[in-house]
Amino acid sequence: MAFPFTEDHEMIREAARGFLQDWFDGGKGIEKIYQSGQAFDAQAWKSFAAEQGMAGIAIDEDYGGAGLGDLGRVVVMEELGASLCAIPFLTTCGIVADIIKIAGEDSAKAELLPKIASGELTASYSDGHDATKKVVTHSVYSGHTDMIILSRRVADGIDYLAINSDAAGLVITPEKTMDPTRSFAKVDWSEVADSDIQIIGYGSEERHAKIITQSFIALAAECVGGAQKCLDMTLEYAGQRVQFDRPIASFQAVKHRCADMFILIEAVRSATYAAAIAPPEEKIEAALIAKAYASDAFFKVASDAIQLHGGIGFTWEYPLHFFFKRARANRSMFGNSAGDYDRLADYIFGDAA
Amino acid sequence: MSALREEFSQWMSDNFCGEYECLRGRATPGDEDAFPGMRLKWEREMGAAGWIGVGWPKAYGGRGASLDEIVGFNEEYAAHGGPGRAGHIGETLLAPTIIAFGTDAQKAKYLPGIKAGTEFWCQGYSEPNAGSDLSNIKTKARLENGNWIIDGQKIWTSLAMDSDYIFVVARAEEGSVGRHGLVFLLVKLDQPGIDIHPIKQMSGTAEFNEVFFDGAICSEDDIIGDVGDGWKIAMALLGFERGASTLGQQMTFADEFRQIVELAKKNGASQDPLIRQRIAKSYAGLKIMRFTALRTLEAAETGELTKEGYMSKIYWASWHRDLGELAMDVMGASAEILEEGEYNKMQKLFLFSRSDTIYGGTNQIQRNIIAERALGMPKEPRGGGTVIKG
Repeated sequence: MAFPFTEDHEMIREAARGFLQDWFDGGKGIEKIYQSGQAFDAQAWKSFAAEQGMAGIAIDEDYGGAGLGDLGRVVVMEELGASLCAIPFLTTCGIVADIIKIAGEDSAKAELLPKIASGELTASYSDGHDATKKVVTHSVYSGHTDMIILSRRVADGIDYLAINSDAAGLVITPEKTMDPTRSFAKVDWSEVADSDIQIIGYGSEERHAKIITQSFIALAAECVGGAQKCLDMTLEYAGQRVQFDRPIASFQAVKHRCADMFILIEAVRSATYAAAIAPPEEKIEAALIAKAYASDAFFKVASDAIQLHGGIGFTWEYPLHFFFKRARANRSMFGNSAGDYDRLADYIFGDAA
Repeated sequence: MSALREEFSQWMSDNFCGEYECLRGRATPGDEDAFPGMRLKWEREMGAAGWIGVGWPKAYGGRGASLDEIVGFNEEYAAHGGPGRAGHIGETLLAPTIIAFGTDAQKAKYLPGIKAGTEFWCQGYSEPNAGSDLSNIKTKARLENGNWIIDGQKIWTSLAMDSDYIFVVARAEEGSVGRHGLVFLLVKLDQPGIDIHPIKQMSGTAEFNEVFFDGAICSEDDIIGDVGDGWKIAMALLGFERGASTLGQQMTFADEFRQIVELAKKNGASQDPLIRQRIAKSYAGLKIMRFTALRTLEAAETGELTKEGYMSKIYWASWHRDLGELAMDVMGASAEILEEGEYNKMQKLFLFSRSDTIYGGTNQIQRNIIAERALGMPKEPRGGGTVIKG
């Protein structure tokens, strides 16, 4: 068993990989999603999240989950990253589950967590802190989820609001995205009646920042999985492609770049796994490191993979570009790595503004 | 905290003081010429108290410490500011090799001196034409009247000037090439057939040496394994460095990092946003190295062979080189100034760390190793290359 994982994790990994690589189908799965124009595969969600029980991986057993916490979620996210399967796991089972668990009212926990754990309920999250017009853009998966969670800044902290996607007056406008495998939308709830907006939790700004930062770990794990897939595809291709009477994998120019990809990926694994098992007092710092390092590394590895594939890597038909586009998208999810390193520097120098 | 760690921590508090105070945080790579006499005395102090070879089996005078205990021991040593260990080549590389492959007579002859901190070893592998291509060894050994007679040259031999013995990989079979026909010999340095020349490095110091063998001798009993086993033993020795000591090394790195942070706070470099980014990235690297080592160690403990260990050398070497550059950029213009005419610690770090990415397998060789062993990519075709004449 590779530290820090247990038998349970390995079983989940195997099951997740089996399902998701079948879904990926050498890239055909993503192409189908692209063709559909909808970055959401409802059938995949039902099979993977509900029937296989993956949605409850990180949710406590009291609420019907598997209770495997951050590390369990890391396993699933790695496999999602390696397949780009278009399901709202990151938002539903990552950040929304964490918001409810950490900041939710008891009633919200009792009502929503079991539904998330069973795969019955999908949810998205948007930072609506300062949305003066009750409009947010670039809201991940809000176009496809059953429920939209919004954070709002109020006098003494943060309120978490829940709006059902079928609420009267809610206007959701899908946005076209460069990465066609994860949907974005504009959410306008200015015309939604107060009675349709449920306050499910509240907390301090500081705690909110912690919840958001904790979700970086899942995003970092997605980067690990995506980057590993890019390297695997590159190794396979370079081993087959013959030029100058030799597989190009035997040229040092190719080998050394693959070695650098490996180093980056293993470094990101370490950062991500360390964050997943970090004690609470070290969690934030570790999550910042994981996400900053991972989002940069995934982009570098994906771009190197295209380069090493040569012309074929530049074609639409070959699925590498989808990973490249996801890697790009992850660089601006929850802000960029420079911002993460800035925060880290504040901790190191002890001079946070 | 394990009982062993606690005991050692107490012992360090009680004993690493007084006259040894000058050694605090010193004698790290790049600084190994610091207080040589005092360092050897400190090794004897450690040895007398039974703190050398804690990981060896009890049958050979060790404590049979577990991996966790050894990690704790190394971290405790670094946390107390203990100096670079003069005897680590004997203790952590040669001794496990003798224990695994040596004869009873060799164990009785060589282990006690290592354990007591009175006898020091250096490693005779590299030669002028056997660097990255290590198996291209030309140093010769032949048996004559019950002795091995050795002729040839080793180079880049760390700490030869402070050592008593050298283990030498030499070619014993006439006409053999590559990994075949080699022997692994244990040779006393203080003899007429051996000449040691220090190599003055760009850091101004001279940890590395050339060692010349001109009819040097050792007994025919001073061979580990048989004729032809030299390569196997030489590689097994490298494998004994399981990485527990790398956590100690990382404590030293962490200490250097903290000093750079303090300097940046003091001289205002901490207000430079680009410096802040680099400091934060360096810190991330430090954490990543630590967790990567834990992954490797934990896996090794359960007998699992994991791949991430292949990245550790190139990762720490590149990280440390970058730290040296960061240190200079934090210092700014004052990086140029020699206080009291000497390189200070940061300047030494900057200069010496240029060797990190070269010794023990260059970054380029590390990438080959990763590509071939971790990723299963094909080897370069060997030989038959064209030598370009300039």
